[in-house]
Amino acid sequence: MVDSVVMSGEGLVDFAEGLARIASTGGGPKALAAYVAASLDAAVLVEDADWRHVALAGASTRSIPASAREPIGAAQRNGAEAAVRLPTPGEAPEGIAVPIRGGDAPLGWLSVFPNGGAAAPRIGFARLAAAAIAVELSRDAGGGKNRRKSFWDRLLARAYDDPIEARDDATSRGIPLAIGYVAVAVEAEGLEESSAQAKLGELRRICVDSLRSGTGEVVVLERGGGFVFLCPAPLEVDAQNARTAATLIPRHATKAHFGAKVVGGVGRPAEAIAAYRTVDEARESMFIARRLFGGSCVMPYEDLGVYPLLLRGGTTADDLRAFGDRILAPLRAYDEKHQTELVRTLRLYFDVGQNVKTAAAELSVHRHTVFYRLRQIAEITGNDLDSAHDQLTLRTAMAIDALNSHER
Amino acid sequence: MHSILTNGERKTLNKRDALRLAKERSVRFVRLSFVDILGITKNVTIPASELERALDGKVTFDGGSIDGFVRGEEADMMLLPDLSTFAVYPWTAGTDAVEARLICDIATSDGEPFEGCPRTTLQRAIEDQRELLTSVRSGLEIEFYLFALDDDGTPTTRTSDAGSYFDVSECDRGEAARTEIVMTLEAMGLSVASAHHEHGAGQHEIDLNEVGVLAAADALTTIRTVAKHVAARYGLHATFMPKPLETLAGSGIHVYFTMGQEPAPDETARDDQLDEVTLWAIGGLLAHAPAFTAVCNPTVNSYKRLVAAWDAPIYTVWSYRSANSLVRVPASNGGRRIEVRSADPSCNPYLAMAVLVASLADGVRTRTLPGDPLTGSTYELSELDRNKRRIRTLPKSLRQALEALDADPVVRGALGDHVYHAFRDAKIAEYERYRRAVHPWERDAYLRVY
Repeated sequence: MVDSVVMSGEGLVDFAEGLARIASTGGGPKALAAYVAASLDAAVLVEDADWRHVALAGASTRSIPASAREPIGAAQRNGAEAAVRLPTPGEAPEGIAVPIRGGDAPLGWLSVFPNGGAAAPRIGFARLAAAAIAVELSRDAGGGKNRRKSFWDRLLARAYDDPIEARDDATSRGIPLAIGYVAVAVEAEGLEESSAQAKLGELRRICVDSLRSGTGEVVVLERGGGFVFLCPAPLEVDAQNARTAATLIPRHATKAHFGAKVVGGVGRPAEAIAAYRTVDEARESMFIARRLFGGSCVMPYEDLGVYPLLLRGGTTADDLRAFGDRILAPLRAYDEKHQTELVRTLRLYFDVGQNVKTAAAELSVHRHTVFYRLRQIAEITGNDLDSAHDQLTLRTAMAIDALNSHER
Repeated sequence: MHSILTNGERKTLNKRDALRLAKERSVRFVRLSFVDILGITKNVTIPASELERALDGKVTFDGGSIDGFVRGEEADMMLLPDLSTFAVYPWTAGTDAVEARLICDIATSDGEPFEGCPRTTLQRAIEDQRELLTSVRSGLEIEFYLFALDDDGTPTTRTSDAGSYFDVSECDRGEAARTEIVMTLEAMGLSVASAHHEHGAGQHEIDLNEVGVLAAADALTTIRTVAKHVAARYGLHATFMPKPLETLAGSGIHVYFTMGQEPAPDETARDDQLDEVTLWAIGGLLAHAPAFTAVCNPTVNSYKRLVAAWDAPIYTVWSYRSANSLVRVPASNGGRRIEVRSADPSCNPYLAMAVLVASLADGVRTRTLPGDPLTGSTYELSELDRNKRRIRTLPKSLRQALEALDADPVVRGALGDHVYHAFRDAKIAEYERYRRAVHPWERDAYLRVY
């Protein structure tokens, strides 16, 4: 429950910020109506242009008319275009209705019925609330494209707690929701303002062309100066192919004479309900690609080793342990299955300053055996021991492992 | 730059060159060779005096007597020699009956390319993909066994050596025969990269350098002919049967393709990533593998090799290093060489190349990505892992393979209607004969028990 806002100038600002916060995190008309009801200590009814209920909130503490259609209709016949006073039964204070407009198009009405003892709602608060609801209704009322876009915005704003609810909503909007997705974030660098719009259109076409596959429609979301693409990945192989296709985008851009640097990142596969996670990872990867690899590349999160961990603030001990396990688990599994000593070899190799001869002596094996094991380690972990970036990842994983070894 | 139709380093001769060469080498007879639907080499021998007429495409034969070739009313077929395949059989050089061979395409009596000719089928498949595959070259690694002949000349499965991979057995007749096979192939203009003892006792491998796709198919027919001929002179029998012995490794052929030219320096290319065309081509091969297996592994015996042993591929996977993956991309070739490891030397080389080229090209056309490469042995893949990666099992019998072929329009299309139906009919009949036969294993297992 939100505390009632003080009906003052400052209160208006607080109220507006509250509306914006809800809208920006994917809250729809229902969430906005609930906020208005709590803030203004009132019952709130939102009806669309055809007088269908869009949202109802706060009506448990007082009775309100089933629809505001009649008094609004009467007031309109008398020439009213803006706010309408709403008579209410009994002792309850009268309410107020304001139109919800998307540009010039009427989208519906917001009716506010204050509870007994509450102050009559000021028209400014109601109009602000109507404007916020108008944004949400415009998304839904703007045809299939907007309805679909609205769904993805909500999904990524974590508006759905229940996967079934998300799937049902997707279905009602004509969206075939895949089981899982891989996000690809892409931006172009150094675009001139005059041609930026056209170039972004070109980039979008190049990316969609690269990412299309037989597993479903690629979702395109505009984000900042670039795009986030959600590639359906029902199976592991689809995620692998999406990642490969994404890393080929800069080459395709070069071949298409795009004329600007393309940078991007790829998140790990995630279930549809958790698509925000792969999107966050894709954007993090893009940031790292730009900072550490100079752009002109699309970097998969899985290839970035320790860097996402370093980028993210507030990393917990659990995060660190999970990272160490993720990097070393394949080696441990191999050691266990084949009775080998790859983890030990790697640790020793680092401990002795990457001196193969010394490592061989410590392990009592020939140095060729150490070389062979290092090649195996590189192949199994996907980390190149000659790469400074990959070394950092492996060293960090080993360090985390050593620090937590007493727990094993 | 070599076009896909260029026969590698083979010289292109004109009619006058061929006549002059035949005269200089004192050629008495010319074998005009071709293969039937099953890939068996056939030939018509003509005296050298008829060579000019043959070069004009005026030598005909009765196609009605060749299995799967023609219907009755089309029986007269013309042989159209490919002059670039002119070669003297070295074992006849210096004798009174020097023989040369010319590999021929087959035309109908009115001179039109015959749609049932396997060599023509390959050329058409190559031509169909010319836009997508501008410069593909192909090489082969061919395995075979050398077994002893009985006193009456009947092949046995006995070998005179107990060697294995890369062993040297200097007193072994097999090793000497292999050396002479290589020398003979080189004398006929083939470029041999290497030869060595293979895993099984009596098993050998000869590797050919890259040439054009058509030349690679021609080379396989040549090797089969030459190996059998040379082996016989050593009292041996060269067999290209895929799995002659249950307890030893089967014989396969590894067909490799090099896609495109060396890529231009590209600031966006990652060192560890394959060229996209190569990736798509691999995707095409994996997508069509069950269907092309019917053509690349065309005998009932072929499926006794495709089991989880001796590094035979059994799943539609690719890797950089795994020896038992279906497709391998060795790092040593800059990641541009795609090696298909499932085919066996009982295949019709022209049809096998046609379906492989069509599969490669379809992958490029549809931009089919192949998933990540596999590390480790494919035999250890669990069913769950295979499902997650959409990995399919290669057909386990000729019957299954033919069903996969029926279901794949791309591979069927590469064969063309005539070859597809003729091949399918022949193979279904073969499978039915096999299915009805009572095999020694069944008697061993059941005769006493039941």
